[in-house]
Amino acid sequence: MLFNSYVFLFGFLPAVLAGWWGLSRWKPLRLAFLTGASWFFYAWWDWRYLPVLIGATSVDYVAGLWIARSENENRRRLLLAASLTTNVGILAYFKFAGFFFGSLNGIGSALGLGAALPSLHIVLPIGISFYTFNSMSYTIDVFRRRVEPTHNLLEYTTFVALFPHLIAGPIVRFTDLAAQLKHLTPRLTSETAARGAFFLSCGLVKKLLIADQLNPYVARLYTAHAHLGLLSGWAAAVGYSLQLYFDFSGYSDMAIGLAWLLGFRFPQNFNSPFKAVNISDFWRRWHMTLSSWFRDYLFIPLGGSQRRAKRTVLNLVVTMFLAGLWHGAAWTFVIWGLVHGLFLASHAVLRKAGWTPASTTLNRALTFLFVCAAFVIFRSPSLGVAGDVLSSMLGLHGLDARPQLAALLPAKFALLIAGLLLFVNLAPNTWQIRVRPRVWQGMATGAATAIAVMTISQPHPFLYFQF
Amino acid sequence: MPPATGSQRTIRAAGGRAVGSAPPTAQLLTADAAATSSVVTHTAELASKREGSQRRFLVGFLGSFFAALASVLAFNVVVDPFALAGTGIVPTAVESDRSIKLDLLQNLKRGPPILILGDSRGRQAEPSFLQRLTGHGAFNAAVTGGSAPDAYVFVRFAADRFPRQKRRYIWFSGIGLASSVVLPQLAQDPRAHRYLLGVPGFGLGDVKTYLSTAATKASWRVLEKCVFGSCRSYINYHPDGSLTHQSLRYLPEDAKWLRKAVAKEVAAARAGHKTLRQWRQDLADPRRFVYWERMLAFMNRRGEVPVIVLNPIYPSVLATLNRRGFPGRRATLEKIAQLHRRFRFILVDCEDIRKWGGTAYDWSNATHVNRANMRRELRYIVAHSRGALR
Repeated sequence: MLFNSYVFLFGFLPAVLAGWWGLSRWKPLRLAFLTGASWFFYAWWDWRYLPVLIGATSVDYVAGLWIARSENENRRRLLLAASLTTNVGILAYFKFAGFFFGSLNGIGSALGLGAALPSLHIVLPIGISFYTFNSMSYTIDVFRRRVEPTHNLLEYTTFVALFPHLIAGPIVRFTDLAAQLKHLTPRLTSETAARGAFFLSCGLVKKLLIADQLNPYVARLYTAHAHLGLLSGWAAAVGYSLQLYFDFSGYSDMAIGLAWLLGFRFPQNFNSPFKAVNISDFWRRWHMTLSSWFRDYLFIPLGGSQRRAKRTVLNLVVTMFLAGLWHGAAWTFVIWGLVHGLFLASHAVLRKAGWTPASTTLNRALTFLFVCAAFVIFRSPSLGVAGDVLSSMLGLHGLDARPQLAALLPAKFALLIAGLLLFVNLAPNTWQIRVRPRVWQGMATGAATAIAVMTISQPHPFLYFQF
Repeated sequence: MPPATGSQRTIRAAGGRAVGSAPPTAQLLTADAAATSSVVTHTAELASKREGSQRRFLVGFLGSFFAALASVLAFNVVVDPFALAGTGIVPTAVESDRSIKLDLLQNLKRGPPILILGDSRGRQAEPSFLQRLTGHGAFNAAVTGGSAPDAYVFVRFAADRFPRQKRRYIWFSGIGLASSVVLPQLAQDPRAHRYLLGVPGFGLGDVKTYLSTAATKASWRVLEKCVFGSCRSYINYHPDGSLTHQSLRYLPEDAKWLRKAVAKEVAAARAGHKTLRQWRQDLADPRRFVYWERMLAFMNRRGEVPVIVLNPIYPSVLATLNRRGFPGRRATLEKIAQLHRRFRFILVDCEDIRKWGGTAYDWSNATHVNRANMRRELRYIVAHSRGALR
C-alpha cells in the first residue's frame, strides 16, 4: 500500500486514526491495534513476508531483554552477536545472496570456469533494509547500556512495525520513541493534527506534483543514454538528483506527518541537502537518520576521525562502501558508495591541509555538482549506462544536436529544473516552515493537497522502496 | 549580569517585573508564588488560544480539501468526458464513433457482405475500394481504440439486423491480438449492452478516474468546445462507415511531423522492456480472449471464416523491434498457432510494408497508414485471403 494511493488516504488512514484515538483509554489495546494495523499495511504488499518481520522483531525483543539482564560480558556479546547475525543474515539472504552468486558466476565465466553457482531469484521483501536497521540499533543501544530495554512486547512491536516508517524510513531508533511509547499521547490536539496534516500535504505535493512530473523526462534521458550530449547529460544528472530529493524527502515528510497524526514525533530526515557547503555537510543533511546510523554504529566504532589521517580515510571509505551496499545489491550502488567515501576522505584531507575554497557559493556549487555526478551512478541500471551519461557530462559526446535537444530537453522540463534549482537553494524546508494558525493557510494547504491527490490515478512507487 | 534563571525568565515572559539582584527571601517567595500562578493561567490561556487557532487551520485545510475534491468530481460527472456516468448532457471527449457506426449499420437497407472490423488503423479502409477488388459491398465498422468486444458487438449486431446473410470479415489487429476491456463508449450504448458480459455501472473505480487531473482536463476541453464553441465534430462518415475525405485531416492520428512521430515511436521501441516470458504470460490469460473466442466461435458456427490482418509497422520501428528480437510478435504468432487449432480463420501478415508495396511516406503518423497505403494493403489482403473475401 502506497501512501500516495486512494486506498491508503481514504481507507486505511482514516480507519487507523479512528481506531487509535478511539482506544485512547486502553494503552495495551491501542498498541495491539497499531501493531496489527501496521502488519496489515505490510502484508498488503505480500503477506508471505510478514513472518520475516515478526521473526526479526521477536528475536531482537528477547535478545534485548537477555542482554540487559545479564552481567556476564561474554554472554552479553554472544547475545548481541545472535541478534546482529539474525538481522544481517536476513539482509544477506534476501538482498545480497543473488548479487553475490551472480558476481561469483561472472568472475568464474571471465576466468573460463563457467557459472558454477545456481542463479538465485529471491524477491526482496519491502522495507527490509529499514526495519532490520531499526531493530539492530535497539539491541546495540541496549548492549551499550544507552537505553533500557522495554519489557512491554507491544511497545516493541509497535516500535518496529509502526507503519509510517516501516517501508522506507526514516530510520527511527528506540531512543527516539521509548518515552513516547511509554506515555502515549492521550488525545489528538488540533496543534498536532495541524502539524501532521501540514507535513503530509508537503510530502504529497513534493512526491506527486514535483518528483512524479520529473520522472518521464528523466526516464527518457536515461533510456537514450548513448545519444546524450553535454546539455542533455547534465539535465539527466540534475533532473534525477532533484527527482530523488523530492521523492524521498516527500516520502519522509509524509511519514513524519503520519507519525504526528498518531501523536508520535519522528526525527528529521532531510535538511535542505542541496544547500550543503561540502560533502561532509551534505551527509549531515541528506537521509540524516541513515547517515547518523552509520556514523554511530560503524564509523565511530571503527575509530572515527580520532586517529591518524590514513585511518580516518580508511574508515570513511569502508563506511560509505557499506552505505552504498545498503542501498542495493548492484555494482552501481557499491561504486556510488565508494565514490562518496573518496569524496569524504578527500574533503577531510583537504580541510586538514587548509586547501578548501573560502567562498561559500563556490563550495555549495562544487558540492552540488559532485553530488549530482555521483547520483548518475546511483540511477543507472549498469555501469555502462553511468559511463555514457558521465562522459556526455564531460563533453566527450559533443554538444547536443538541435532536434535531439528539443526532444530530450523540452522547454517545460528545462524550466522545471531551473525553478526547482532556485527552490532548493532559496526556499526553507518543511521543518523550517511554521504552520500559521490562519484559515487561509489551511485552505491553501488543503487545495494543494487536493490537486496532488488528483494526480494519483496511476500511483508511482517511491524510489526508496527498492532499498 | 549573570544569565537569568528559569523562574526569572518565566516571570519576565509572563509580564512580571524582572527579579532584582538580591531581593529579600520573603519578597522573592511571594513574587514567585504570584508569578507562578499567573504563569500557569497565562500558559493555559496561550495553549487554549493556540489550540483554537490551529483548529482554524484544520477547518480550512479539511474544508478546502474535501470541497475541492467534491467539486471536481461533480464537475466531471456532469460533463462526463469519458462516458462513464452516462449523464449525456454534453457530448463526450472520447470519439463517439461506436454509436455513430451502429446508427449507420442500423440504417442500411441491405446487409453488407463484408464487414471491416478493428481499431483506428482500420478506419482508413474504404468499402468502395474493396468492392472494386472483390465485387462485394462492405461496411467499415472499425472504431477508435477498437478491440475484441467492439468487434464482437458489431458482428452480432449485423447478424441480428440482417439474419439470413452469410458474411465475410476483415479484422485489422495488432500485436497482442485482443483485449477484453469494454470501453465505456461501447458499454453506454443500449444496442451494445445486450451482447456484453456483466458491464458494471458507475463504480468506485470510476470515481477514482473522475477525481483525476486527466479527467478534469478532458472535461474542460469538452466545455471549451461544446459550451463556449459550436460543438461540431469535424470527423464524419459516409453511410458505408468510411471516413469522408474532409475528415482525414482532422483525425487524431494525423501527425504534423511524421519524422518526429516516428522518432518518438523508435525511442519507445528501444525503451520497451517487455520480455518474451511476460508477453507469453499476458497472452496466456484466458480473460483476454473471452470476446475474441466468442466471436470466432460465432462466425465459425455460421460457416464464416474471417481474415485477420496484422497491422503494418513503420519500417524503422519494425527494424528496431526486430533488432531486439521482437518478443511481442513471437508470442503473438505462437498464440495464433494455438488458436488455429480451435478456430478457422485466415491470417494475413502485413507488418512489413515491403510485402505489399507500401511506402514509408504514406503514413498519417508512425502507427497509422494513410489512404494510399491502405489501398495497397487491401490489394495484398484480398490477394492473400485464400478466397475468403471473394
